[in-house]
Amino acid sequence: MVNQIFYVITVPMVYLAVAWCLVGIAVKVARVAKTPAHPFTLKIFPDKDHPVPSAVWGALSMPTVRRHNPTFWVFLILFHIGVALLILSHLDMLPWFNIYPEDSPNMIGNGAVGVVVTAAILYFLLRRFAGPLREVSVPADYLLLFLLFCVAMSGDIISWANSWSENGFVLTKQDFGEYLNGLFHFSWADPAETIDGGHYVVLVTHVFLANLFLMVLPFSKIMHTFFAIPLNKLRRG
Amino acid sequence: MDAKLKQELIQTFSERLSQAAKMYMENCSRCGLCIEACHAYASSPETRYTAVGRAQNIRRIYEEYFKKGKIAKKLNEAVELSDFWMEKVYETAYTCTGCRRCMTYCPFGIDTGVIQGIAKMMLITADQEPKALSMLADMSIAKGKTIEKTKTNFAAAAKNLEKEVLERWRSEGGEDVVPLDVQDANVLYVALAGKHSIIPAAAIMNAAKEKWSLSYFEAVNFGAFVGNPAKTKEIAGRIIDEAKRLNVKEVVICECGTAYRVMKHMTGEKPFGVITFAELIARYIEQGRIKLDKSKLPGKVTYHDPCQIARQGGIYEPPRYVLNHLTDHFVEMTPNRQANWCCGGGGGLVAIGEKDFRMKSAKVKADQVKATGAEVLCTACENCHTQLSDLNEHYGLGVEVMYLSDLTAKALVQD
Repeated sequence: MVNQIFYVITVPMVYLAVAWCLVGIAVKVARVAKTPAHPFTLKIFPDKDHPVPSAVWGALSMPTVRRHNPTFWVFLILFHIGVALLILSHLDMLPWFNIYPEDSPNMIGNGAVGVVVTAAILYFLLRRFAGPLREVSVPADYLLLFLLFCVAMSGDIISWANSWSENGFVLTKQDFGEYLNGLFHFSWADPAETIDGGHYVVLVTHVFLANLFLMVLPFSKIMHTFFAIPLNKLRRG
Repeated sequence: MDAKLKQELIQTFSERLSQAAKMYMENCSRCGLCIEACHAYASSPETRYTAVGRAQNIRRIYEEYFKKGKIAKKLNEAVELSDFWMEKVYETAYTCTGCRRCMTYCPFGIDTGVIQGIAKMMLITADQEPKALSMLADMSIAKGKTIEKTKTNFAAAAKNLEKEVLERWRSEGGEDVVPLDVQDANVLYVALAGKHSIIPAAAIMNAAKEKWSLSYFEAVNFGAFVGNPAKTKEIAGRIIDEAKRLNVKEVVICECGTAYRVMKHMTGEKPFGVITFAELIARYIEQGRIKLDKSKLPGKVTYHDPCQIARQGGIYEPPRYVLNHLTDHFVEMTPNRQANWCCGGGGGLVAIGEKDFRMKSAKVKADQVKATGAEVLCTACENCHTQLSDLNEHYGLGVEVMYLSDLTAKALVQD
């Protein structure tokens, strides 16, 4: 029974979560796109010479945060760059990517990227418990960050704590790569057949939490990933 | 609250959900960066006086009526419309001056003014808006409809101002001191209801030998203050029609920030230019059409950037250019330009009174003025002028609050 649940989580649920997430994002973006534009400019002056590149740069580098709360900005930048690197390092497990040597047991950053991302999420979560931010936060804010924290933490166990054995990695990047590759090729293979040992349950937990996150994403404020640039464009005219 | 009103309020909300408003509703991450941006919070640290605090009142209603899923609603603290929540809607609408300083803090640039616009329109639907603003807006519209009947009286009133204008600037023989209905004028000057807004401007334009015409209409747009887009358009439309009829090159808006923003940025393309009076003065100085005597303004002078012409209009340098021709003792406030603190009087607050709140919420502005050590506090907006004068009295700042136009007119060098 447990094996069947694990299989559902690691294979069919992944497809469902990804499909759900992509359709959800598309619907959300389309709904906003077909809504009539605001009837007048929402620009803030002074004028920017190149509003589009300026909006892109503004969304990516968050200069207003850097100016008004540098500590928060450092964590935000670390978090966002970290997430980008984590996406890349997951893709690097596939055979046709070779950013890290194919035979290396480590992911990009040797586990440090995940730890930095986890620390940043923890900071985002803890700062909500104090001061006026506590008054404006809603349960969804805490839960989303908690979910992200759990995803990141379980990922850290796989990418880093997994190596704390006498013989190094219990499960290697190649093991996970085979699982991911199977998913990409719709092999419907049970990863339990190739990945075994005590750490398998951590992988299942990580995949389950990541699935949950993907399913929640279109309904959460993480949608700012897709709206940060258009939003920044509005204030630049 | 009865079901019919609830339905009407949801409909109003829905109609105000532009693309921008939808993105603002859905993407705020409540990071709290905007908290420190608001003058009201900086003066009286209550979370309800923050951009995110005000927006949450509206966002929680949005979660209830425009989002699906019972769990999501609970997690986002969705609320049903009720009399209590309409009070919170009022708080969103009328504790914010629409200065948009928070936009310069928010990583996404969320415009609280847009969210405030939803709140104001909901209040109108519920017949809970400040009645003074609606009445003033209706009076402006009525004046537009009956203008032909009142033109004679207006011309007589303008004639009565001649003596005071001539005291500021002697007129050439045969020249109209306060001209009306000048076809093909370069400038249609739109003043406020009050001679303080006409006399200095007339003297300056006459000194510059401008071909100008005084508008029959007052610049202020109470439709914008009360948050009614249809009335805003109708009130501005009277001036637009007049400018088209006279075939003027430029409409010059007096020292009224909201009037400028409405005319320049909220009423679409027009066949004439729109500038502030501060820009016109700067142009006259630059072109050598007027000369100013610096000895008329001794002592330190500082300048308050009105939000609606500065952050919202980009008019940062022209007033400073003028002031630097009026005095050698100009000192900047800190912060200034885009980062300047709002005076706390915008968004209709001055018009509806609210003096206790205005004084409480603008302590940071009073402190900012005091820190300059200036004797003269200059600004270029009627709302700001009223609010700064009240602050001056309330906090004992000991400054003289002056319009840029008035300072300029007093310093005109008679050839």
